[in-house]
Amino acid sequence: MENNTGKAMLCKLRALDFSLYETVLYLDAYPHDGDALAYYHKLLEQRKSLMEEYESSFGPITPMGNTCTGEWKWIKSPWPWEYDAN
Amino acid sequence: MWSYEKKLQYPVKIKNPNPKLAQIIISQLGGPDGELAASMRYLNQRYAMPYDEITGILTDVGTEELAHLEMVAAILYQLTRNLSEADIKAGGFDTYFVDHTTGIYPIAASGVPMDMKYVGIKGDLLADLHEDLAAEQKARVTYDNILRLTDDPDVRDPIKFLREREIVHYQRFGDALRIAQDHMESRNFYAMNPSFDKATNCLN
Repeated sequence: MENNTGKAMLCKLRALDFSLYETVLYLDAYPHDGDALAYYHKLLEQRKSLMEEYESSFGPITPMGNTCTGEWKWIKSPWPWEYDAN
Repeated sequence: MWSYEKKLQYPVKIKNPNPKLAQIIISQLGGPDGELAASMRYLNQRYAMPYDEITGILTDVGTEELAHLEMVAAILYQLTRNLSEADIKAGGFDTYFVDHTTGIYPIAASGVPMDMKYVGIKGDLLADLHEDLAAEQKARVTYDNILRLTDDPDVRDPIKFLREREIVHYQRFGDALRIAQDHMESRNFYAMNPSFDKATNCLN
């Protein structure tokens, strides 16, 4: 989130995750809905590549996403609740 | 935000139900030094923490405590499965059963429901970290006491794992306290509260 590209990418990731989570909740109730399952997989593919791109450029989203081998970036500010992170 | 992983941190596989024992172990779910209080303590303290290492420790230990909450719940669930009405009465489980059946409800062993009064959040770096060090020791003692009260190896195994984690967390909070003090005025740690007096961080 060092710059606007990072923030724009985070915004995209957040929107994608929201759509995914909505689909997850729907599938919990309707696990046999093939259309919803296909939509889930379509979003999941997009998420995988966006997560990879984001974490390698701007740092980890989860503690298991530290792609940098030279530095432990997980704890680096800003944390998500800070003004500057949003 | 959080996402859930569909696996226990450490396996829980208890052959013999024992509702009486469940009524003791439930303190580590909803008691004063239980896992719910622990997770709420750390995850809510972290907002006021001024140093990244400590924010990271509180985030990750607090998250692990949620996994421990699930492990304790798994122990309780397995200890109270397949009960007959006679089992419920004989085990003294009837006073819990009447209100919650075999649902998992966070209370202390004495029956007092979980209360945020168990959780200290002072917004002061030193006060909060000392609270956390004490909390880990108190949880370790509770697990020691549980181990005194049962010889079932299926129960002892995950309880021993949880007890070990209290010790590791205590070590990490010790590191956190040292990191905090390294940032502070060594002749007077109380000259300021870096959690609040951010403008005076020039002492760094």
